[in-house]
Amino acid sequence: MDSGAVAIVIAWVLGAYALVVSIWGGLKQRQDLVRSGEHAVLAMWAFTTVATADLLRGLVSRDFNLEYVAQYSSSTLPLHYTVAALWGGQAGSLLFWLTILSSMAAVVILQNRHQNRTLMPMVTATLMAIAVFFASLLVFVTPPFQRLAFTPGDGRDLNPLLQNYWMTMHPPSLYLGYVGCSIPFAFAVAALVTGRLDDVWIRTTRRWTLFAWFFLSLGNLFGALWAYRVLGWGGYWAWDPVENAALMPWLTCTAYLHSVMIQEKKNMLRIWNMVLVILTFLLTIFGTFLTRSGVISSVHSFTQSGLGPFFIAFLAVAATLSFALLMWRLPVLKSTNEIDSMLSREAAFLVNNLVFLGMAFAVFWGTLFPVISEAVRGVKITVGPPFFNRVNTPLGLLLLFLMGVGPLLAWRRASLASLRRNFFWPTVAGVTVAVACTVGGIRHGYALLSFSLCAFVVATIVQEFWRGARARQLLLGERWPVAVARLTAKNRRRYGGYVVHLGVVMIFLAITGTSAFRVEEQVTVKPGEAFEVGHYRLLFEKVDAWETAHSAHMAAHLAVFEHNQRVDTLKPEKRFYKKPEQPATEVAIRSHLGSDLYVVFGSYDSASQTATILAYINPLVGFLEWGGLTLVFGTLIAAWPQRSARKVPEWEASAAASSGSHSLS
Amino acid sequence: MAGTVPHGIRETRRLFLVLVVGALLGLAPASRAQTQHGVTFQELEESLTCQCGCGLTVHSCNHVDCSSALPLRKEIREQMALGKTKKEILSYFEAKYGEKILSSPTTRGFNLLAWVAPFFVVAVGGVFLVWTLRRWTRAGNPIPVNSRPDRSGCPNLAEDERLQRELERFED
Repeated sequence: MDSGAVAIVIAWVLGAYALVVSIWGGLKQRQDLVRSGEHAVLAMWAFTTVATADLLRGLVSRDFNLEYVAQYSSSTLPLHYTVAALWGGQAGSLLFWLTILSSMAAVVILQNRHQNRTLMPMVTATLMAIAVFFASLLVFVTPPFQRLAFTPGDGRDLNPLLQNYWMTMHPPSLYLGYVGCSIPFAFAVAALVTGRLDDVWIRTTRRWTLFAWFFLSLGNLFGALWAYRVLGWGGYWAWDPVENAALMPWLTCTAYLHSVMIQEKKNMLRIWNMVLVILTFLLTIFGTFLTRSGVISSVHSFTQSGLGPFFIAFLAVAATLSFALLMWRLPVLKSTNEIDSMLSREAAFLVNNLVFLGMAFAVFWGTLFPVISEAVRGVKITVGPPFFNRVNTPLGLLLLFLMGVGPLLAWRRASLASLRRNFFWPTVAGVTVAVACTVGGIRHGYALLSFSLCAFVVATIVQEFWRGARARQLLLGERWPVAVARLTAKNRRRYGGYVVHLGVVMIFLAITGTSAFRVEEQVTVKPGEAFEVGHYRLLFEKVDAWETAHSAHMAAHLAVFEHNQRVDTLKPEKRFYKKPEQPATEVAIRSHLGSDLYVVFGSYDSASQTATILAYINPLVGFLEWGGLTLVFGTLIAAWPQRSARKVPEWEASAAASSGSHSLS
Repeated sequence: MAGTVPHGIRETRRLFLVLVVGALLGLAPASRAQTQHGVTFQELEESLTCQCGCGLTVHSCNHVDCSSALPLRKEIREQMALGKTKKEILSYFEAKYGEKILSSPTTRGFNLLAWVAPFFVVAVGGVFLVWTLRRWTRAGNPIPVNSRPDRSGCPNLAEDERLQRELERFED
């Protein structure tokens, strides 16, 4: 028996032990049992790591007697994809998931050795309940260390679509995001069980939530960039069920990141925040169910399997238990909700929550509607991109608008004078851009609105930085860069948040540019023939063919002319992988400030020497990557540890002092 | 003053509402250059789903020699040549291949639910939110907007205090 297989069984036993002993220790208030459970988690982490290392050893040493290695790699697969094959197949990805979960659980335990001792037994128990579920799948349903009766000469290789450098980044990011959502969930459950419903669990998980959100964002973005560069249909988001599965928890998690601030400030929305945390966790499991069950046909069909029923059962149990807990604690959770004005940041955040949840519902509904339709009417229907675009565009634009409005409204109450002062320049910016776009000939309604709102939001962000820095400059005599840096350092979450918003604006620009102004041409040409796409002229020169041990390649050479000047040569490829025999596309992209020229080699007829070429101009698509980078930068600012001591929440301060501690502007 | 809403704020609220509603309803989707029959080839391609399993629309499927997208494109061209309207062409495809060929649900019967439900949920959520916020606002103890002491008589002090307040606002 492989050491990895033994390690998984031991990990399962340790997980189950930690689960039972933590609950028992928590109930009986016996710290020795609780500690024992925590030590079991640390040991479990060690054993899952051993199992993962053993599977990696099998992959790297080309041990084709292992079924998993034979199925997802080959002797010619490059090393980095061989490592990535760890999450390329089902059993491996479940093991990878379990390893991430046990690693995070171990970190949580080490972080909380001397704090949150009341919460910890149930935190450990919740995390171990999830871990035992995954470990059970690995022990009983899909063991990763199955040996074959014979040793094949070579493996079947990794799916060619997955042989891309994004493969090394997209799944791990998404898994880190998915699994990361378990941590706030575990603390929420612990708070519900123990009745410690103050904001301790929220403060403890703040950075974990941000961590999970960050990786969910990256996972989605990497997926989009992968689709764009590899699938070769000119777009990056197809509203595929599995894409939707990753988007839904991101939407609810983003809603939570905003509404939790109201709880921290005013001790309100305690039930609502619980709901959001639970919902986010359930959606990560639902996403995995969609991916694994194949209940809805998807481009990610390589991940489908018979695991669906297990996930749906786990989902049902998790949903029932967590919502039952919530109902049980409802009387204690009810807080005196008071807001001073409808024109306040609190109110704006709540509208933001409504829109985020509305979008999550729209995506959920659209994804499941084919199943519902088949169940109710017995008729198969398709809910494709046109549906999702039509439903989500107005909601997305509303969100963009709120992203600008929120920061302009003061907490508690916005005075009329502050409204006038705060809205003036952003509105001027928005209107100016709208007028400029109209004069420039843009007639696309949504695009006009989107550009105008983007300008509005950017202006609010610039104004916030500028005013804050100016106040410091005048009051403390600091130079501009110092003032900006110190202002940001004083409230990292707020200013990091603004930078994240800036990244989101860039992503909106990319979405608007590509959905409203994309130009595309499909031509069949012979060598020496040219065609035009946008302001480019493309001359088809020749086809080049070569072969490697792994695949056969054919590239079309296209000379790119801009204003009659040869500026580039693009070589889109058609590849034919040998194992498994499968064609694949390698697009060629000329990235330019403002737009991409994106060329796909559709097909080649050697008899007539004609090539079918698809060429696209994707305006502003580069902002997708820039937006992603800005988002990373903003999240790092927001998550960076604050040097000063914890600030007393406003609601605590206001409870302590009888009056007058609130700023009104 | 406490408890009453100044006229200016009411106006701003109205402006806010108009902006929100405008953002939601104001703008129709893009109009593309259309043929004399009122429909473009791309529009039809995007209205139909490729049946090869790629999950994309006929327009987006780029599989080499796709056994579904290529014949469907040919068929779209044939139907367009007959001078049919978009509705007639889509009905033809629906009758021939079943409803699953359409890339989004129809707006008839049970399928209407697909379109209406998301907006219905947001609308009901919105009504509930406004109702809740009103309740919470009433429960609140609004602080009069202009309750700060007036120090306009001593400009430097007032200016310093304003800056200090502003800084607090930005650092809070």
